[in-house]
Amino acid sequence: MSVAELKDRHLAATQTVSALRDRLKQKRLLLLDTDVAGYSRSQGRTPVSFGPTDLVCCRTLQGHNGKVYSLDWTPEKNRIVSASQDGRLIVWNALTSQKTHAIKLPCAWVMTCAFSPTGQSVACGGLDSVCSIFNLNSPTDRDGNLPVSKMLSGHKGYVSSCQYVPDEDAHLITSSGDQTCGLWDITTGLRTSVFGGEFQSGHTADVLSVSINGSNSRMFVSGSCDSTARLWDTRVASRAVRTFHGHEGDVNAVKFFPDGNRFGTGSDDGTCRLFDIRTGHQLQVYYQQHGDNEVPPVTSIAFSISGRLLFAGYSNGDCYVWDTLLGQVVLNLGTLQNSHEGRISCLGLSADGSALCTGSWDSNLKIWAFGGHRKVI
Amino acid sequence: MAGLGSTAKAPSLPPPRPKSPPEYPDLYGKRRELAKVQMLEREIRFLEDELKFVEGLQPASRSCKDVADYATANSDPLMPATKRVHRSCCFWKWLCGSSCFSFSWICCQGCVPHLEIPRCCGCSNLCDCSISSSCPSSCPSCTSIRCSKPKCHCCSCSCFSSLCFRKPACGLSCRIPKCPSCSNCCFCNGCTSCYPKCLKVNLCNGCCTKGCCYNCYICY
Repeated sequence: MSVAELKDRHLAATQTVSALRDRLKQKRLLLLDTDVAGYSRSQGRTPVSFGPTDLVCCRTLQGHNGKVYSLDWTPEKNRIVSASQDGRLIVWNALTSQKTHAIKLPCAWVMTCAFSPTGQSVACGGLDSVCSIFNLNSPTDRDGNLPVSKMLSGHKGYVSSCQYVPDEDAHLITSSGDQTCGLWDITTGLRTSVFGGEFQSGHTADVLSVSINGSNSRMFVSGSCDSTARLWDTRVASRAVRTFHGHEGDVNAVKFFPDGNRFGTGSDDGTCRLFDIRTGHQLQVYYQQHGDNEVPPVTSIAFSISGRLLFAGYSNGDCYVWDTLLGQVVLNLGTLQNSHEGRISCLGLSADGSALCTGSWDSNLKIWAFGGHRKVI
Repeated sequence: MAGLGSTAKAPSLPPPRPKSPPEYPDLYGKRRELAKVQMLEREIRFLEDELKFVEGLQPASRSCKDVADYATANSDPLMPATKRVHRSCCFWKWLCGSSCFSFSWICCQGCVPHLEIPRCCGCSNLCDCSISSSCPSSCPSCTSIRCSKPKCHCCSCSCFSSLCFRKPACGLSCRIPKCPSCSNCCFCNGCTSCYPKCLKVNLCNGCCTKGCCYNCYICY
């Protein structure tokens, strides 16, 4: 077959793909008989209502000299690791605000960090395209720096996000600007699987975030600059299980809903969305005009432990608390006393769900917890 | 003797006719094109499978019910709702710390006005390393808590307070990464792949030349 014939075949296939996608989109639209808010209203659900001092900032973690880009809690104890433009990871005792480690990074351009399930090591990645692992119990070198214990090399673009596989200190998943995700064996330093990439059915632009299913660690979702989120099975790297369309901009953040059957997304289009992994349905769009017709991108999201609240950080410093069932903003942490003075770049919930940590371009981290009254019964 | 005025011509050489290079088959381009077609045809199969899958799907209301049932079935420490208080209730620690933990919730409520850790060293603003005078040197109100931030003069040696942070004194050099040279500033493969949309991270303006990071808008 000549190149000219191949080009014709390419054009025909492209048109077929486009037509099939349209048909699929129409069929899915017909199945969207309601959304979560519509259903909840029909059931007479009571809206969440916060008093003025219900959610308060009870700790401010100061120590970074630059924008905070990423944070992660330990799965068990109350420690947080944060990554900053100042080229350091800091490990904090979140209860006392003490710093237990300040790790100078070999590459200052860090974008993501993660705590291992046992809390013994931390991982980070960034513009060096490498995911570096630090064992927190290792002795420091002559200069007082914690040495890198492993470097996971293989990505051909920046490492945008990383997360350890739950209950497995030896495995983690990364997302990258090279349009792929990777599953790594930290013991060997090798990449076990590549999800997507050239000639594979995967994202078609930079991948910006990953979230592993807490109920089934073989499944994870990724969000990308191609405006889609994709669901992956770690046993099948050749293609995504499902692709979720709907967003009209980069998908900056993805996070599984606590039940493991849904996940949320946050995007440059200013919306958060809730998708069902089993059906592929888009169940809810969370969007509210911020004023002055601005539509600030969503930078980060997290669900409360029950799933009733969705926390969303925005590039303008807002941090909306959404009632996930009624699709309404119930609180804006960005307007509370002692809130951040810059963009919220990352946020995360403690393992027991009792506190939310936010990280900001103002170089601080803040911890928010319930400070109001509860009726004792 | 050749006759004068002889006009016989010497046989002339044929005009040069440079040969075109032989037509080599563009195997690389053909294979690449074939790979793209195969990918698209695979995508067509995936989409056809997806269409069949969607045929048998239940409407979204079923999933919406599952979400609503789940979100209302479990307690949530961050929710302002009636709940049974247990001794092991974990969220009070955020308000009071260990010193209040053994007290009743009344003590914890009394702690509320004192939640905030005093700002270090009376700095109303963060130490802005671009303005070296923005961080006052004295700490009028912080008696029990030492400032854990390095002082301004960011690029000189700074220490974390030994009370706040376990580190040998002044072994740390405060380093604000400077704008790197262009060879390091773009991590796109070959730099040509930066266009049209490269990174979501933005290095300092002007550090990338056109040849390296053309159209490579990055917000770091």
